[in-house]
Amino acid sequence: MLAFIIRRILSAVPLLFGISVLVFILMAVAPGDFLDVARSQEDIPAEYIERMEQEFALGEPWHTRYFIWVGNVVQGNLGESWIYRVPVTELLWQRIPATLVLSALSILFALCLAIPLGVLAAIYKDSIFDRISSMFAYAALSIPEFFLALLAVMFAAQTGLFPTGGLSSVEHEFMSFWGRMADYAHHLVLPTIVLGMGSVASYMRIMRANFLDYVRSDFVTTARAKGVPEGRIMFLHVLRNAINPLVSGSGFILATLLSGSILVENVMNYPGLGQLIFEALMRQDEFVVVAAVLMGCVMLMLGNLIADLLLAWSDPRIRLEKN
Amino acid sequence: MYAVLPVLEKFLLENIYKLAALPKLALITCLLLILFACKGEIPPLERKDHPLPQDAEVSESEPGLYGGILVTAESQQPRTFNPLVAEDAYSSQAIGRFLNGLTSYHPLKEEVVPELARSWEISSDHKSITMHLRRGVLWSDGEPFTAADVIFTFKALFDERYPNRYQGQYIIAGKPIGFEKLDRHTVRFTTARPYSPFLYVIGFIGILPRHKLVDAYEQGTLLQEWSVRTAMHESGELVGTGPFSVHSFRPGQRIIFEPNPHYWRVDSRGQRLPYVDYLITRFVQDRNTATVLFASGQIDAADIAPGDVVGVSRNAPLHGFTVHHRGPATGIRFLWFNQKPGVNEDGRPYVEPHKLEWFTNKYFRQAILHGFNREGLIQSVYFGRAELLHSIISPANQRWHNPEVPKYPYDPRRAIELLEEQGFEFREGGQLYDKHGNPVIFDVYASEGDDITPQIMSTFRENMRDLGIRVRVRYLDFGTLVARISRHFEYEAAMMGFTGGADPSGGRAIYLSSGRLHLWNPEQEEPQTEWEANVDELVYASEEIFDLEERVDYVHRMQEIFSEQLPLLYLLTPHAYAGLKDKWRNVRIPAMGSVIWNIDELYLDREH
Repeated sequence: MLAFIIRRILSAVPLLFGISVLVFILMAVAPGDFLDVARSQEDIPAEYIERMEQEFALGEPWHTRYFIWVGNVVQGNLGESWIYRVPVTELLWQRIPATLVLSALSILFALCLAIPLGVLAAIYKDSIFDRISSMFAYAALSIPEFFLALLAVMFAAQTGLFPTGGLSSVEHEFMSFWGRMADYAHHLVLPTIVLGMGSVASYMRIMRANFLDYVRSDFVTTARAKGVPEGRIMFLHVLRNAINPLVSGSGFILATLLSGSILVENVMNYPGLGQLIFEALMRQDEFVVVAAVLMGCVMLMLGNLIADLLLAWSDPRIRLEKN
Repeated sequence: MYAVLPVLEKFLLENIYKLAALPKLALITCLLLILFACKGEIPPLERKDHPLPQDAEVSESEPGLYGGILVTAESQQPRTFNPLVAEDAYSSQAIGRFLNGLTSYHPLKEEVVPELARSWEISSDHKSITMHLRRGVLWSDGEPFTAADVIFTFKALFDERYPNRYQGQYIIAGKPIGFEKLDRHTVRFTTARPYSPFLYVIGFIGILPRHKLVDAYEQGTLLQEWSVRTAMHESGELVGTGPFSVHSFRPGQRIIFEPNPHYWRVDSRGQRLPYVDYLITRFVQDRNTATVLFASGQIDAADIAPGDVVGVSRNAPLHGFTVHHRGPATGIRFLWFNQKPGVNEDGRPYVEPHKLEWFTNKYFRQAILHGFNREGLIQSVYFGRAELLHSIISPANQRWHNPEVPKYPYDPRRAIELLEEQGFEFREGGQLYDKHGNPVIFDVYASEGDDITPQIMSTFRENMRDLGIRVRVRYLDFGTLVARISRHFEYEAAMMGFTGGADPSGGRAIYLSSGRLHLWNPEQEEPQTEWEANVDELVYASEEIFDLEERVDYVHRMQEIFSEQLPLLYLLTPHAYAGLKDKWRNVRIPAMGSVIWNIDELYLDREH
């Protein structure tokens, strides 16, 4: 097991380097650079801009900057953000908790809703419930997240039941501990629903299809013939088998949620990684962009790894190591 | 027909035991909602009674009462709290809340007023300025403020290790300004030649506390100090003399300022300013969000775009605010032709020679502006909430703006006349040709930035078609546009804008022929035309004149030349509007700058 994990992690290293090269090339090909904003301001002296060009090696070809970056990485440091003049890792850490909480909650929300709904839809196949739920699923799948986010903001603004954005209210600093927690929870309701909604629909469909596959399989007939109660068959035997694709797919959830959160965070004014990455991309703050992209990749790979491990744990038929 | 009901009934019957959980769920939801509802109010601030400084400044405004929280919103957050690092307006604004300069610019009086320097003397040769610092002023941590802090700030500013945007501004006639400490509260500055904007520019840099930063300065890590990290985790380290101190900073969410207990301004009753308990700035995604927040009563002040005035005003009675008309905005927006002669690295001319001939002809430029229906744009795009721009300095800048410059109203007949005088002629199909027989066609580059640009450009294209000129509009990403106009010079015409500042010395980079933003032909070694040489002379001369009236006169003459030669074809200047809640007193809204520029004097009306 350990060997498997180590092998997977080691195989990721060259991939990460390849991606970082790609990011640097893309940033170099993209028009303009970080200093464009300064260049267009009338009261910033030319000497200062020249100094900054030298300092950031912006006049140099991309590989010069790449080797500076690799030099930093080897020393265990991801460079400094040009906008904030703060180490990139520090900047990312400011934002990671907010995004992780939101992602974890949306995954939880999606699974809690999708598994029971998918099972029910399969058990009562072709019933009115099945039809309504699949209608809902197709609708949810076809609405882009950012649009759902806009609708949510409008809903919040119209009804006043929820805050229109952000992670905490203006009074937050002056609240008691429990008040703060309640404040966070209140702010998290809408983003969680928005971000999780698409996943609810797709997992529900997957769950339903798999469940149906297994309901028709021989072991179900056998169990019925033996007189095992229907509920036991469905929830113990069929569900156990049908849930595998969901587990192995959950690795991707993390990655897709992260990319989805860039849009949702920007629309809903949520102070997570998405906002930071968006700003860094717009301003071409290179080291932040590279670090953010790499982090996304690491998340994806870790997610897959965890999914594989979970699968092995939930399904004893799967062996991770060949021996 | 489906047997809907039986199926539903069966479903409900089989699952009825699950419904038992519903009351519990409802209970939890109710509890949560109650929790959400009882979110705490911000408790009033308890103020410590510190003695007032000897040279405290007494505010001229009416005395008020302590208390209240003022909430604003900004579309971007501060990137740093270190004035040597800051290069954007949002960081500078946050820094200005807790740091003071030696002088500052009063937006209503439109003149330089004392800040940390209580008075100054200018020597008879105008080359040395002696500043008397306010005595008895304390930093927010209680340490005394002295001349040593001023000297430290300027030493850091000119230090080779710490490149910053102010260095260039304090290098006058090629030499850094000199500074020396005369005694504990007196500092003398010397300049290589008389420089009249000195008092204005000297106020740009916030004076830094030596006792807090000297160690970092010695170690060479001054630029790493006072970052967003400091504001998040050790906001007490951000020591200043300004009206506020940073209470807390949450990236992407908000910054909360609290009054500086040692601030040096008081009201006529001897109460230390500011009156507000907390100043909270929320960070929102864009200006539209800020407008929505203001219109729904969630923030106290906001800039309102001309197009939103009607919509926002509709909510005024509901939330008790007023949308104030501030007159024309400070920025200028213009279109210009590339007049750069010569060839690029590949030996290709920057501008095709026959086009360069048009572009360098002032009558051609005047004709284009005459042919552009800007008046129509004001009606169609801004609904009348804008006005024509005629000068390189916006009319918002009342002190310096020259209203008597040559103007080019929409007059297609005059445009055609001017073109024909210059040898242009119309041929079949109404197309305009120059005297060498080249059809008049050019490309205009614009940034796709806002939704108004495309409307301006399509009007321009239509108007030019009426003159027989074919205009192709290309939209570029802002970065690409800047690179094209400032580095590669490969364009024919472009549209852009500048924000504009108070003193015309801020526009040197545009006015001077050697300037980086002398857009039509930047960074000339020697002025290439007579009028550009004249402008250079006027700019330099105006900066040596200490008599304000005389200096204004020079700047007016410079504007006349610009409007006569028209290197920049001025477009229009939208009107500025600012919303503010009515519960605030001592509100005085200037034509330029922040609406809450006198935040330390604002107080809450108890009636509201």
